[in-house]
Amino acid sequence: MSAKKDKKSAERFAAIAAMWNSRAKGLIREMKLEIEKADLKGVQIRMPFNPDFCLDEEGTMLHGGVLTALLDSAFGLANFVAIDSIESMATLDLRVDYLRPAKSRADVLVFADCYRQTRHIAFGSGKIWFDTGDKEEVARGTAAFAITRGTSGGFLDKLNATGPDK
Amino acid sequence: MNISDIQARCDRVPFFRFLDFTITQADETHLVAQMPFAQRHIGNPILETYHGGIIASFMEAIASICVLDDINAAPAKPINLNVDYLRPGFAGTLTTRATITKKGRRMASVETEAWLEDEAKPVAKALFHFLLV
Repeated sequence: MSAKKDKKSAERFAAIAAMWNSRAKGLIREMKLEIEKADLKGVQIRMPFNPDFCLDEEGTMLHGGVLTALLDSAFGLANFVAIDSIESMATLDLRVDYLRPAKSRADVLVFADCYRQTRHIAFGSGKIWFDTGDKEEVARGTAAFAITRGTSGGFLDKLNATGPDK
Repeated sequence: MNISDIQARCDRVPFFRFLDFTITQADETHLVAQMPFAQRHIGNPILETYHGGIIASFMEAIASICVLDDINAAPAKPINLNVDYLRPGFAGTLTTRATITKKGRRMASVETEAWLEDEAKPVAKALFHFLLV
């Protein structure tokens, strides 16, 4: 890739990340996600600890469903970054293995990538760990998506047009 | 199992309060619950549909309660899950039914279905495995 093209890609990734952060709604906003990396190799997102996502009042363990939701969100972002001219997508199926109990109050990190794309389908894989230094995986997941390709950055334009959340 | 006992137990789980579901039916092998739509459940910001992770979380929550013999016992440990998303989860009350397919001494396999208005048109189906020990 030429330096000029590299720069253009970097700008596009930054635009997607900025849009995702500023126009976040619903669960993505509740999760207070922060994009740490977003390029063709994949995305890395940080989620701060939230007692509302726990199984117990003491807040010692996250519910597995939160990890599933985090993986699903990360797959979505990875697809937008990796697939040119993506207009919309729908999750076809999602598989998650819970490898360890999610017992920590540390930030949660997720990595996801779109490792194969065809005209209609995208395949994603991802993993989750706590930001504690040992990087022991807490969950792994894979998903398949039905994608619709449009003319140019269709979803970004639509998202832009929705304006800020009230 | 008594529905109000199950509900009381669910109300002590912070994440179940976040989902905000109500148990409507319970017997030995089935559990049914309803969840009203909320802004915090949105996934797609344009269509304002349910986040796939919220639908999966709701189904996992109901499946995990379904396998308990004693509602006040320690929660079942989820091993893995497989969700099929069949239709868009538009805004509306979501109903989930969990059915135990196999329950042994160590493991349980639970099937779930979630739908909006028409049970014949499920939004998602899923399969969960739990470790009971």
